[in-house]
Amino acid sequence: MILFEDVSKTYSSGIKALDKVNFQIGSNEFVSLVGKSGSGKTTLIKLLLREEELDKGRILFNGKNISKIKRSHLPSYRQKIGCIFQDYKLLPNKTVFENVAYAMEVMEGTDYEVARDVPKLLGLVGLEDKLDRFPSELSGGEKQRTAIARALAVRPEIIVADEPTGNLDPYHSRDIISVLEKIYELGTTVILATHDKDIIDRLERRVITLDKGKIIRDEEVGRFIL
Amino acid sequence: MITYLRRIFRFGWTNFFRETGLNIATVFVLTITILLFSFLYISQGGVNFIINQIEDKIDVSVYLKPDITQDDLMSLQENLMKMPEVKNVAVVSKEDALEEFKERHKNEPEILESLEVVGTNPFYASLNIRAVSPDQYSAILTVLTSNTFEELIHKIDYTQKKTVIERLNNGINNVNTIAITLAIVLIVVGILVTFNTIRLAIYDSSKEIAVMRLVGASNKFIRGPFIVQGIISGVISSMIAFLVFFIVCYITGPKIEAITNGFNSFVWFGSHAVILFFMQLFSGVVLGVVSSLIAIRRYLTI
Repeated sequence: MILFEDVSKTYSSGIKALDKVNFQIGSNEFVSLVGKSGSGKTTLIKLLLREEELDKGRILFNGKNISKIKRSHLPSYRQKIGCIFQDYKLLPNKTVFENVAYAMEVMEGTDYEVARDVPKLLGLVGLEDKLDRFPSELSGGEKQRTAIARALAVRPEIIVADEPTGNLDPYHSRDIISVLEKIYELGTTVILATHDKDIIDRLERRVITLDKGKIIRDEEVGRFIL
Repeated sequence: MITYLRRIFRFGWTNFFRETGLNIATVFVLTITILLFSFLYISQGGVNFIINQIEDKIDVSVYLKPDITQDDLMSLQENLMKMPEVKNVAVVSKEDALEEFKERHKNEPEILESLEVVGTNPFYASLNIRAVSPDQYSAILTVLTSNTFEELIHKIDYTQKKTVIERLNNGINNVNTIAITLAIVLIVVGILVTFNTIRLAIYDSSKEIAVMRLVGASNKFIRGPFIVQGIISGVISSMIAFLVFFIVCYITGPKIEAITNGFNSFVWFGSHAVILFFMQLFSGVVLGVVSSLIAIRRYLTI
């Protein structure tokens, strides 16, 4: 499904973020990316979303080289990937319902589909009673659950979560990870970037460990070892 | 397409009323700019009115020989009227000139007595010629001094008035040049201030734009609501500007009429209301939309 082949990325400041990274992720996998801050996790995700351009190597998504996707086709490519971020990245002037609906509306979902699916998705993440709240009126955990519902709204082939628990307390962190596990069990590939040891050790799933832009470990049932 | 337009309009509409602070600032700046355009427009009307008044006071008198026949007089008048440069030709007969003289000096018996001493009507019949524009008098004079008419004419007072006419002409040209320069400068300043205000408002939304892109929104889906917000700002601003302009013209109308000797801003407003409304609407919407389009472009590169 996803193939990174000799991928390297150096920023204009001279910082080498990724150095000849190779790995493959199949469909319906739950993969954790671990590493210290600055190890290259976020760069790897940015390259996958084509927020940044790579310098060397290639990234294949379902067999297609994503560097060759035209700019005009980037929106439809990104719609295949549901994203969750540490800072939630919700639209502050839209309600919980509207934030989730927006993702469906950009995919040209019909009004009927929006009205039918958004409450269901918000029910899945336990926010069915907060549809009309604005992000500023939600707790961190609720914001992240809204972001998850929005990521799911585009019916993505994969969910990419970049430090989704970084701003949350342990209780809400466990809550978010269990939602991600539920999504994985429903058949969606999940890529989780984190440096939370407890989460990784409890998951007991595949772990790719990065250090200074290189993959130093890739284990089917991994643990958090740095 | 209809669903897309409906959604774009709904996003623009709700964003406009949820981001009230920045949008009030945008509407305020747009209103000031539209009012500036409107005042320049009415000033042009006022300046033209004053210039016309001055131009109407300029004329050239052609004094005709005493033995001129009525036919010659009519022929001369007709020929002059055919010239595109001539606006009006008024015939003043010897008798009219005498009557006018008597009227002007009715309180000065010694002057009137001196007329009686002369015994005959000493005045010449004359033609008072008004040109369409003051710079055309020399062209008219060239025709008058040609061989065809020379024998009918006793004297032309253009030489005495020439300096005054030329000075007025230069003055009017200078007023026009200064007004156009000032208008261009003010319009440019207005456009730049509006553009920068909208740019700041969109800069404030730059993080949201990045989120929209990540969610997979196409550029037109991101751009659309900002254009709608530009249109709404433009429409609201033009309506406020129209109302403010109406009130200002109503209050200042009589005073401006007294100062300019006849130019009433409220009457002008009444006769130009429709064109003014559409001009304000057009400038408001175009400024709002074009500024939004330019400002958002840099955030839609990837």
